[in-house]
Amino acid sequence: MKNYLDLIPISAKIHRRQTCMTRWCIVISVFLIAAIFGMADMFLQSQKNLAVMQDGAWHVMFREITEEQAALLAARPEVKSLTRYAATNYKLDMDYKVEGVQTVLCGFDETFFTICPGIPLLSGDFPRETGEALVSESMSGRLGLSVGDPVEVETPDGSLPFKISGVVADTAMMLKTDAFGVFMNTDTYLSCFRDVTLSEDFAYYVEFVPRCRIQKAIGDICGQLHISKEKVSENAKLMGTMMQSSDRYIWMLYVIAFILAVLVAVSGMMMILGSMNSSVAKRTEFFGMMRCLGATAKQVRHYVRIEALFWCLKAIPVGLLLSVVTVCGLCRMLRVLTPTWFSEMPGFGVSLPGMFCGILIGLLTVLAASRTPARKASEVSPLTAVSGNADTVFAARRAAHTGWMHVETALGLHHAAGSRKHLVLLTSSFAFSIILFLGFGIGVDFMGHAIVTLRPYTPDVAIVSHDNLCEIPDSLYEKLKENPNVRRIFGRGFAYDLSAYMQGESKTVMLISYEAYQFGWAKSSLLQGDIESARNGHGVLLVEKPGFVSAPGSEIELETDRGTRTVSVSGVLKNAPFDSGEGAGTLICSEELFRELTGKTGYTILDIQLRDQSDAVVEEIRKTAGEAYGFSDSRESNRENRAVYFSFALFVYGFLAVVALIAAFNIINSIAMSVSARMRQYGAMRAIGISIRQLQFMIAAETLTYLVGGLAEGLLFGLPLHYYLYQWAITERWGDAWSLPVWEILVIAAVMIASAAAAMTGPVRRIREMSVVETIGI
Amino acid sequence: MDIVEVNNLCKTYGKGEAKVEALKHVSFSLQKGEFAAVIGESGSGKSTLLNCVGALDEPTGGKILIDGQDLFAMPEEKRAIFRRRNIGFIFQSFHLIPELNVEQNIIFPLLLDYKKPDAGRVEEILEVLGLKERRRHLPGQLSGGQQQRVAIGRALITRPKLILADEPTGNLDRKNSQEVMELLTKASGQFQQTILMITHNPNLITSVDRVMQVSDGILKDLGGKVNEKLS
Repeated sequence: MKNYLDLIPISAKIHRRQTCMTRWCIVISVFLIAAIFGMADMFLQSQKNLAVMQDGAWHVMFREITEEQAALLAARPEVKSLTRYAATNYKLDMDYKVEGVQTVLCGFDETFFTICPGIPLLSGDFPRETGEALVSESMSGRLGLSVGDPVEVETPDGSLPFKISGVVADTAMMLKTDAFGVFMNTDTYLSCFRDVTLSEDFAYYVEFVPRCRIQKAIGDICGQLHISKEKVSENAKLMGTMMQSSDRYIWMLYVIAFILAVLVAVSGMMMILGSMNSSVAKRTEFFGMMRCLGATAKQVRHYVRIEALFWCLKAIPVGLLLSVVTVCGLCRMLRVLTPTWFSEMPGFGVSLPGMFCGILIGLLTVLAASRTPARKASEVSPLTAVSGNADTVFAARRAAHTGWMHVETALGLHHAAGSRKHLVLLTSSFAFSIILFLGFGIGVDFMGHAIVTLRPYTPDVAIVSHDNLCEIPDSLYEKLKENPNVRRIFGRGFAYDLSAYMQGESKTVMLISYEAYQFGWAKSSLLQGDIESARNGHGVLLVEKPGFVSAPGSEIELETDRGTRTVSVSGVLKNAPFDSGEGAGTLICSEELFRELTGKTGYTILDIQLRDQSDAVVEEIRKTAGEAYGFSDSRESNRENRAVYFSFALFVYGFLAVVALIAAFNIINSIAMSVSARMRQYGAMRAIGISIRQLQFMIAAETLTYLVGGLAEGLLFGLPLHYYLYQWAITERWGDAWSLPVWEILVIAAVMIASAAAAMTGPVRRIREMSVVETIGI
Repeated sequence: MDIVEVNNLCKTYGKGEAKVEALKHVSFSLQKGEFAAVIGESGSGKSTLLNCVGALDEPTGGKILIDGQDLFAMPEEKRAIFRRRNIGFIFQSFHLIPELNVEQNIIFPLLLDYKKPDAGRVEEILEVLGLKERRRHLPGQLSGGQQQRVAIGRALITRPKLILADEPTGNLDRKNSQEVMELLTKASGQFQQTILMITHNPNLITSVDRVMQVSDGILKDLGGKVNEKLS
């Protein structure tokens, strides 16, 4: 030994068990910070990938600008690329067709494929020559077209011939609307369709250079090129993930993320602070001894700080490693489960910002947290070392109340609440788990509102009557039902604008027929009455909305082509997947009753869910259906939905799981440390004759005090936080009123109670196994 | 009547080359009201002897009977209850409960038994110990001597048959040491409590009935009888 500080590694070796908990505390805190920041980083990366795949890599879009302005724009140093884009018949409301199928016509520059990687060129080349065009994959497949073939686009002004130079992937919109797409270079497009293109359908997509301050650049561009801000649109999702958005709501989300980040950092700091305080308090005798032997207060302070850094040497890398494993695991899951959308995600997802935050906050916290214990340690009087009271963790200021409760309960309560500072520290660290959980719980609400999840009734493909008539025959339904690749098929008939007389008023309603599956799914929306009567044809289900509120048993007079019939309401639904439009109500009945009322025997729509979702199966179904009906392929949009939901859910629930894990660890560690700090006292009590059972009660009373205090404090601060975050993230956008987050509270409370119960088993086992003689040193 | 019967007591620590025989075939007995002191050098085995007699440490061999009962034949919970009802401990480092005041510390063994303390008895002990004025004080607010008196009060409150005292005056000055010895002598003489005390202080053994010496784990009875001066 050359220096008194060389005692640190020796002491760590000897008191391995004592310091183990503090080191684990640092590990877990660093893990918490690095994992959450790392997950946030990866979440942003995943959402950025998703935004690029869905909407493109462009940052802003300029509309209605002159070619001169566009040229000046392209020449600016902050602009990486500028892509011209124009479209006709995008809403499929014009008369542009190929082989009788509605067709979207687009013109764009070659850079389009770089800024829109979600629509890749599958074969051939970009149409550089006049008269060349790309066609969509479904068009190429259905019409048997390939590169080099001619294709004619029927326009209101006659047909236009093109030579196919390549094939591009279908967009989800084209598949869902069963439309074709023909794409050409901008010059060809303008020469053919300039006059019919609406000004809002002509745009310049701009991608800025990396690390550009986009909002400032937009301001400069608009100011210098005299472009009105109304002509500029942002790629909201991408800009949002890049922290460059100008959207007020997105900024609100940034504020929420910042608040949560601060909470995470504070939570980590509190865990380390509590642990280090306890660790130093346990060694009062040792520090007193050092002072006895001549160490100055400054040397003791230095010792405590260097010791804290010594712990960091191992604890921080371990915490970082754990966070890397967690973040990598999540990224891998994302890549494996949704490869189409997240293949760009790093396989070995090391988040440098996450690790940096972990190291920085971990180190700073440890150093900051060691200040108080270091001061306390340096203030230990040499006399304390030999006075016999050095084992007191927190000196009692008042006596426990043994008058009206058992002594073990009174002592347990007093151990927890005897020192206000200790109680506040412990309950606050418990409370932080609740606050964090409620804070991150907003993510679940946000996900529920922002992402349209797939419902059990979401079809993969649908056969739709062109004019919303009930013209799809039963025979087609039966035929498709026999297809082994069809998992479920369910049809609906629609009768629009029926006059109805209910509650003394004349109203307009839409009548829909359901079959068994749909009645089954409707159960989750049932407010009153029952589904069965409607399913059996003995009544109708009313979808509640303003002006259409009724109770089961009330009667409605319906006027149909077959005359006036009275039906009774057998059940009331909260909502339905169909909108009957402003002022119109929705009634749902069985197929038999629908046919009886309307006289219509077919379906308006047949929804199909597939076992095998391959193109071949879809093509087979399309052929079975024939060309008489519309065909909607929702597989791509379903896949998009699933990817968005999955990526969101993975991280939102990942955050919650980490917070719950931290809550569990924090509770277990806090109880273990509190018990371990009082081990000598428990030993003395054992000598005097306290039973293990009584000690168990003592620890249980102490744990329960922290738990109840933590829960109360957590709810006291967590609920207002949840309220405000909810207001900012949900009410602001969707108008939903805040409600008590019962499930979140129940889940975190259950985690905390289970952790507290588990936390007691270790210390009780140690007490049971302890040698009284060794513990109290007699 | 024998309160303590120790037969052929052995205690070994460690194994192989590290094996230490702390007690070697120790046998002795203590009668009701007898005040015995065990002396010996540091590491001679006297504390081990006290710990084994108090059932805080398990012997490797031999038998210990307290008031005719074999403590080590009892399950742990029963032994703890027996200890708090029948054995009073006085430690050199006092080991008071810092969260309990003087009175609560004294009645602690009774509280563990969920018994209502006899107010008269508590008053008597506080009076004898000279702690009446300090009954609401916490241990941290007392001097070393006062803390040791509280520890003695705690050992006396259940009127145990046996009091085990490990260097009870080790942390006290001469005046306080004398007071503690007077209290213990009174307990032995007046209340017929058997006391086994470990001490280094040769002056203290002048007040005891019997002195035993432990050397290298072997116990030697140095004899002595009531009021006889041994030095």
